Parts: sequence; structure tokens; C-alpha cells
Amino acid sequence: MRMIPNLTPTTFIMLILGVSTFIFIMFLPALLELKKHKDAGPRLIMNDAPVMQTKIRETILMVNVEEEHGFDQILARKMADVMAVLPNLEA
Amino acid sequence: MITEILETLFLILTALMIAYLTRHYIFTLTVLKNHQKHEKATTVGNAAYQPTVSILIPALNEEKVIGRILQRMTELTYPKDKMEIIVIDDGSTDDTGKIAEQCSKAHSYIKVIHRSEKEGGRGKASTLNAGLKHAKGEIILCFDADYYPQRDILEKLTKEFADPKVGAVQGRVTVLNEPQNIVTRLVTLERIGGYRVDQQARDSLGLITQLGGTVAGLRRDLLESLGRWDESILAEDTDITFRVYLAGYKIRYVNEAECYEEAVESWRAYWKQRYRWAKGHMQCAFKHSLKVLKSSNLRFREKVDGLLLLNVYFIPILVLLSWIISVLLFFLKSPQWFGMFWALVPISLYSCVGNFAPFFEVGIGAYLDGRTRAQWLIPLLIFTFLYNIPICTKALIDLLISKIFRRNGNHWAKTVHSGNGNSYIMS
Repeated sequence: MRMIPNLTPTTFIMLILGVSTFIFIMFLPALLELKKHKDAGPRLIMNDAPVMQTKIRETILMVNVEEEHGFDQILARKMADVMAVLPNLEA
Repeated sequence: MITEILETLFLILTALMIAYLTRHYIFTLTVLKNHQKHEKATTVGNAAYQPTVSILIPALNEEKVIGRILQRMTELTYPKDKMEIIVIDDGSTDDTGKIAEQCSKAHSYIKVIHRSEKEGGRGKASTLNAGLKHAKGEIILCFDADYYPQRDILEKLTKEFADPKVGAVQGRVTVLNEPQNIVTRLVTLERIGGYRVDQQARDSLGLITQLGGTVAGLRRDLLESLGRWDESILAEDTDITFRVYLAGYKIRYVNEAECYEEAVESWRAYWKQRYRWAKGHMQCAFKHSLKVLKSSNLRFREKVDGLLLLNVYFIPILVLLSWIISVLLFFLKSPQWFGMFWALVPISLYSCVGNFAPFFEVGIGAYLDGRTRAQWLIPLLIFTFLYNIPICTKALIDLLISKIFRRNGNHWAKTVHSGNGNSYIMS
């Protein structure tokens, strides 16, 4: 006996819908991440982490702020510079 | 009769897939189990051991990146009187040689070797051998021109050589231009699985740690005794890996010795690079498989892992073959329960094993790196695997043709580096 089911139009449509939904769900997270990157890559190699982490996060933050709120780039950069100095003042 | 042959063949291929699957499960579980132990172990090591090192940097038309790595070399914390940097300008037609010369004038420990256009472009092994003739260090380290290491990477790598049984050492490669596009992001995931889990586990389990050709170091005397790099092999790194093990030495992987690389940026560049890797790896499989089996210097588990590693680039081809056989079997004979089994096994097993580093291995690697969001891209790795099927198939066909007709089919397709990674390095 062979395992080839009798395909009626209904089962065929159900099959297509099922497979499409499965593929869509499987790739949905990837599509979301590709559309709007939220990953903080690239990975920071250890000894450069303190400097690079700060700078990369500043850049990502700035880009997000500019995109979402339409902030002035120069003003945002100045604000980031001021914020970077604050921990030193506390010390 | 045909059906029986197909079934037997399918069963053998399925068993092979299960072997690879089991291997990767063991790797993943080992790394998870040892995660905490390894973190503590990073502080252990003979930091006082500082041999003289020669760093070889082969460079063919690398004007966009050569300045970056040479600048970085001057920032390394390793004692400058114990290191020399040898740039091998492999017949570049751009300003690579000039840039390297400028750095050489400013720093006495940087040397530049110029090869003519006729001498150059024959592959990395040939370039490294040319550099080795001028090297004086006890340890030979290799870095590609597009790489950007940690400042203290030499200390981390060389400390392993305090153990006389260690013949070579490999550091971790991290993609620098990851956010650039989908290709660089997927290469990043492959690298995470390959280094953070695969290499780490092999090191922990005492299996075959693979030299990656860059961020790698070898004992100079060992390298000389092995006859230097084999210029007839495209994957000179895999070849030297097995020659080191067959000579009775070990290779250590140092996960905390990290170095950035500029990953390929297009599918075309991905094809060229992976084709070279696949063909080179297959050359090594033909060259070393029997030697690995017969070797008295390798333990049983090293032999098993060595054979699986040597033959890993045949897997995409075998998976394609299995898919075809499973479809044929489905329509030829199988009873219902049998058909169900045949239909499910390929899907479950092959989707797991599909990529060189399976999805769960990449996922755990990303988790250990704290890259939970990067895990969202893992389903897309199916495309890189599917892409590897024609790449590996073409590599095998070309290799067989060159073997049958005794032609030298080795063409070194150089990876072009755009220097786009520079924008991610902020000093």
C-alpha cells in the first residue's frame, strides 16, 4: 500500500495553507530581526569591550532616537557627549 | 532489486547523519556543561612564558585593510623585542606594498617582503612559505590582512606553548562587519557555532582541534620538520592540522583569544570562499583519511572525530543524495508505516545536521555569547546550507576531474576585502 493520500480540493487547500503558515511562522522572527535590527552586534572582543561597548551603544542609541523621534543629529551627539562625561564628574 | 539497493544506501546515509548529529549533540552539551569551568580556566595558564614570535601577514591587494592590522600590531601588548611582523606582499597591484613599507619605516619590527606578480597569487600556502624563510621567532603566528586582534592576543595564544606537547594553537574568530547585510549576519552565526561551540568542545574533549589558517600559531621547528605548508592543497590550514596531530602533537583552542575578521559581504564572495574551503577540505580527506585510521599517535576517539571532520564537506552532497533517494523510495515501494518513517527521518535528521554547525549548536553558542536576539536569524541558516549543496557538489566534481586528468585544478580565488569593517572600529 502506498502512502499517497487522495487529494480532494479541500485537503489540497488545507495542505497549502498549513505548509505556508508553518514556513511563515518559522521565518517570522528572522524577518522581524532583519526588518529592524535589535541585536547589538558585532560581538565585542574582550579587552576592547569598555571603549567599544560605550561607543557602539551610543551610536545605536543615537540612530534609534533619530529614526523614532526625528531628533536633530548634532543635538543628539552633543547630548551623548555630555552623558559620557557625567560618570567621570561623579568620580 | 533497485528498491533494496536504494533502501540500503538510504540506511547507510541515515546512519552517517546520525553519527554527525550525535557528535554535534555531544559538542553542544559539553560546552554547556563546561561553560562555568572554562570561564574560570581563562585565568589559568603560564603567562610568564613569552617565546619569540614571528607574525606572518600574507597580503594580496589588501590596501583597504592592511593599514588597519599593522596599526593594531603596533598596539599589541606583547614585548616588542620578542616579536617581528612579516608582511608578505604577494604581488599586489594596488598600494598594499607602499602602505606596509611606510609602517615598516616607522617600526623596526615590521618587515615587508615583496613578491613579483609572477611569484605571487599562487595561494596562501605559497605566500606563508615565502614569509617563513625570513622568520626568526620560535612561534609562527598567522593573521589575515583583514583581521583585527585583541591587544593581548599574543600572550593568550603563546602561553599554551609552555606545554611541549602543544604543537599549535588556534584563537577565536569574530565577525566585525556583522551588521552590514544578511550574508555577514549569517556568516556570524556560522562562526559562533563553529568556534564558540565546535572548537571549544573539541578542545575540551581532547579531539581534533582545527587550525583555521588565521589567528593561529605553530612551533617553528615543528613546521620546518613537517616540510612547511603544502602548496598543493587549497585548505593548507586543515592539512597542517592533521599533519600536526599525525606527528604526535596537540592543538589547543583558546576561546578568549579573539580576533575580528571582515566576513564576505555577498553571496558571490561566499560561493568563492566556500568553494575553496570545500575543495581544499576534500583534498585533505583524500590525503589524510587513511593515515588517520592507521596512525599510532591518535586515540580511537581522535580517529573518529578526525574522519568526521575530514569528510564534513561531503555532507551537503550526501544530504542531496538522501533527499533524492527518499523521494524515489516514497514512490517506489514503501508500505504505509515504512513510508512514514522514511518521510520523517530525513526531515528531522537533515534539518538538524543540515548546516556544518547545526541550529542547536549555533543557538547555544549565541546564548553563551549573550546574543539572544541574533538567535532569531537561525532559521535562515537553511539557505546557507542549501547554497552549500551546489558549492560542495561543484568542488567535488572539479576535484575528481583534476584527479582523473591529472591536472592542477587549484585556483586560489582570493576573498576581496572592502574595508567596510573599518567603520565598526572606533578608537
